[in-house]
Amino acid sequence: MTGAGSIPERIAQLFQEQHQSIIKHTDRLFARLMIFQWFFGLALAWWVSPRTWAGTVSRVHFHVWAAVFLGGVVTIVPVLLALWRPGEALTRHSIAVGQMLMSALLIHLTGGRIETHFHVFGSLAILAFYRDWRVLISATVVVFVDHLLRGYFWPQSVFGVLNASVWRSFEHAGWVVFEVTFLIISIRKSLEEMNLVAERQARLEALKDDIERTVAERTAELAKANEKLQLENAERSRAEQRLHTEYAISRILTKSPSWDAAVREVIQTFCGIMNWDAGAFWKTDQQEGVLRCGEMWSAPSVESGEFKALNQKMAFGRSIGLPGRVWAYGQAAWIPDIVQDSSFPRILPAKPGELHTAVAFPILIGGSVVGVVEFFSREIREPDGDLLMSLSNIGNQLGQFFERKRMESQLFQSQKMETVGRLAGGVAHDFNNLLTVIGGYCDLSVMQLPETDPLQGNIVEIQRAAKRAGALTGQLLAFSRKQVLQPRVLSLNEVLHNMERMLRRLIGEDIDLSTVFDPSLGHVKADPGQIEQVIMNLAVNARDAMPRGGKLTISTSNVTLDQKTILRNRALEVGEYVMLAISDNGMGMTEDIQSHLFEPFFTTKGLGKGTGLGLATCHGIVCQSGGDIRVYSELNSGTTFKIYLPRTDAALDTAGANDSKALSNGNESILVVEDEPAVRTLAVLILRQRGYRVQESSNAFEALELIRRSAPFHLVLTDVIMPQMSGKALCDQIMSQVPQTKVLLMSGYTDDALAHHGVLDEGLSFLEKPFSPGQLTRKVRDILDEPRPARSIRSNGNGRVSEMMTN
Amino acid sequence: MRKIPYVRVVCCVVWLAVSGAGFAVLSKYQNTSGSSGPTPSDWPSQARVTLDQTRDTLIMFVHPQCSCSTASIEELNRLLARRSESVNAQVWFFRPKAFPTNWTQSSLWRAAAAIPGVTVQEDVDGTQARLFGAETSGFVLLYDPRGKLRFKGGITGSRGHAGDNEGEDTIVSLLAGQETGLSQTPVYGCSLLGKCRVRVP
Repeated sequence: MTGAGSIPERIAQLFQEQHQSIIKHTDRLFARLMIFQWFFGLALAWWVSPRTWAGTVSRVHFHVWAAVFLGGVVTIVPVLLALWRPGEALTRHSIAVGQMLMSALLIHLTGGRIETHFHVFGSLAILAFYRDWRVLISATVVVFVDHLLRGYFWPQSVFGVLNASVWRSFEHAGWVVFEVTFLIISIRKSLEEMNLVAERQARLEALKDDIERTVAERTAELAKANEKLQLENAERSRAEQRLHTEYAISRILTKSPSWDAAVREVIQTFCGIMNWDAGAFWKTDQQEGVLRCGEMWSAPSVESGEFKALNQKMAFGRSIGLPGRVWAYGQAAWIPDIVQDSSFPRILPAKPGELHTAVAFPILIGGSVVGVVEFFSREIREPDGDLLMSLSNIGNQLGQFFERKRMESQLFQSQKMETVGRLAGGVAHDFNNLLTVIGGYCDLSVMQLPETDPLQGNIVEIQRAAKRAGALTGQLLAFSRKQVLQPRVLSLNEVLHNMERMLRRLIGEDIDLSTVFDPSLGHVKADPGQIEQVIMNLAVNARDAMPRGGKLTISTSNVTLDQKTILRNRALEVGEYVMLAISDNGMGMTEDIQSHLFEPFFTTKGLGKGTGLGLATCHGIVCQSGGDIRVYSELNSGTTFKIYLPRTDAALDTAGANDSKALSNGNESILVVEDEPAVRTLAVLILRQRGYRVQESSNAFEALELIRRSAPFHLVLTDVIMPQMSGKALCDQIMSQVPQTKVLLMSGYTDDALAHHGVLDEGLSFLEKPFSPGQLTRKVRDILDEPRPARSIRSNGNGRVSEMMTN
Repeated sequence: MRKIPYVRVVCCVVWLAVSGAGFAVLSKYQNTSGSSGPTPSDWPSQARVTLDQTRDTLIMFVHPQCSCSTASIEELNRLLARRSESVNAQVWFFRPKAFPTNWTQSSLWRAAAAIPGVTVQEDVDGTQARLFGAETSGFVLLYDPRGKLRFKGGITGSRGHAGDNEGEDTIVSLLAGQETGLSQTPVYGCSLLGKCRVRVP
């Protein structure tokens, strides 16, 4: 049933089926009935008229033969049709005809008994079972024809008269018609009822079909909704699992003390929650340009010994293997089945563990890949976009963790350096004052004693010791980056060329010095003295690494860094650099030693043979100059130090170093402000000896009082670090009250007072302690000779103070 | 409407033809009367059958085993029911001398004997039947009180067929004193005395 329009068709179909069923049933009924009638006729004939007589002789009555043969003929065809072709129109019409013929025969056999005539009416009633009025018509026709013919040919047998009107046949048939008429009415009624039943059934079927269709649709909808719900539930479960994993990993990263511990736990946690079977972490080796395995974990049930061993040995370059691909493209990658992937080089060792699916994702910091994490599964899993997104988040978390740890390390290092620097600065300040006094009086004594005086030698020794001590404090200040730099635009080739002879003497004859200078080497801006100190320190270290001789190579070249690199928490930005490389073929260093190389007080030399500040100092000087120093070493092969300094396009500075031996004279008025009495006394003595009119003060307040009461001084020489008011504050006061007075600041190191305030006012200069009498007088003379206070000190804000010309 | 196969139609037609032929033969047999011999128009003096001189005498000759005569006995019953008081009815049953009495005293005998006013007699060797020219079972004769023959023939419409018939109606009319033009009708039954010859009317 497909719709309302087919109901009439279904009604007709049901009606037809029902009618056909009734017809077939009636056919079978008549088949049995007619056979019974035949036998009944036989029995009847035998009972009523078994024999016919002629006097004393008898034979079987004709009626008996008629019952057998005529009855058989009348019966056989309808019965065969009923059995062979039930339900067909020919069958039931032949049955109707046969039944009427049988009625005629039975009437004959019973001698025309009125009672036997009821067989006709009874047969008609049974024929009405067909509910086919045509069948009744066939039967009626037979009856009528029978009466017509009999009435015509043998009227006496039918009507009891020798001559009968033909209408008497109609009269006899009329009673049949009477019954048939009502039977037909009954048939019509019955057919109507059948039609009604068929209609009801059809409508019921339609309703049932509708209900079934609706149920099927609803069931399908429910099934679809259920399936969707199950998919959503499954998706939700997976999402919850992913969230749980990310949360667990976040907790790990929050609590984990170190990178290695974190990575191991992250891998294990991910595999445990997400049901993966193994994981590995690959870290980038920037120097070698490869990925090496850092951590590897697998579930206890996974046979991964061979796989782990291979991973530990392997290194992947960019775009090589799964980790290499992830490194090259910076994106996660998924291999559904490594067994089917011919480009997976680790198939064979992965087979014992039955590993199939592999996924890898990068650990990114600011877009750069610092590591790759792999996960493996024994199931074959198709790429999961949501999981890849989750892995990307994890990669970012790991990157942030890595960055945080690096910055914590950097902060720790910075704090350590700051602490050491403060300590160094504090020590250096006091020590420089003392050295200033010691060196200054030694210089004065040497100048005053005749050269033949036996005390000259003693005093010279004291001078040398003081200078060495000053160098030591200078180193302290250098590595803590509190040393005062006097950078100039210079050429490293020129500096090295000037130092070559000294270096050859320094390294000895056993070591062959080779220099390779780039003729087109760019300029750098650095303190030449500090650079010389760096070169010397590195040369000395190289010499000490080749006790039985070797080769020392110093080379320079222009370098362009196209990728930001970070090492020891120090970044080299993209740009143009000048590289100075110092290489030896000595004993080399282990990785462990390299990791501590630039730490202050770290040394591999024996007790008393090194302070452990040399390389720390070098590092400090180079960093203060805006560059970085990198070391490359292999045990028993040698070491290379590469210094990168930012290249500048500025022209070379031609200003020379101060000649500390020359003394200058003058007669200007100078105010010396110094809280350390010995230093103050020395400075006053030196200046007075040179003819200057000197007044002194031990603190800034006293100095301001003096300035107010006296005529304006030509120059104020003041210490920077003083209690109550710093030299910087005093300087500001002087600039506001007596702007024509020049100020010269002196100090052993830079501190927040100078660096924190940035660029100072005009008219200031700086003199580094310890200073010699010559340095003091020369500096004073230079400043007094300037037409106006033109020099300013600019602070770089990180403890580095340098001079620059402002006009 | 499905087309009926030609073969089946032919078979049905043949069947109807055969059936019709069979019924035709049956009907012919049914309506074929038996023979009758010469019947004296006056009462034979040698007859053992007693003539009733007060009223009409009706004589029926019946073969005791003839099934067709059942209808004749029924019609006699019906006839006498209408006019029993004006007729002396006698039924003579053929009995061969060699046959036992129970052969003659069959159901027909009992049926006839049961009819009120009917006298049932045995006609040994059929002498009386021959005398009156009865050759077919169910042969009926009607004589008036003076011994004049008024009617002879059968009182059934066809062989073994009860019901209205002209013979009965004629006898009833005669017994009612009405004159009719019909004095003889066909007799349908078995040969009464043997060597039965069916004479086709």
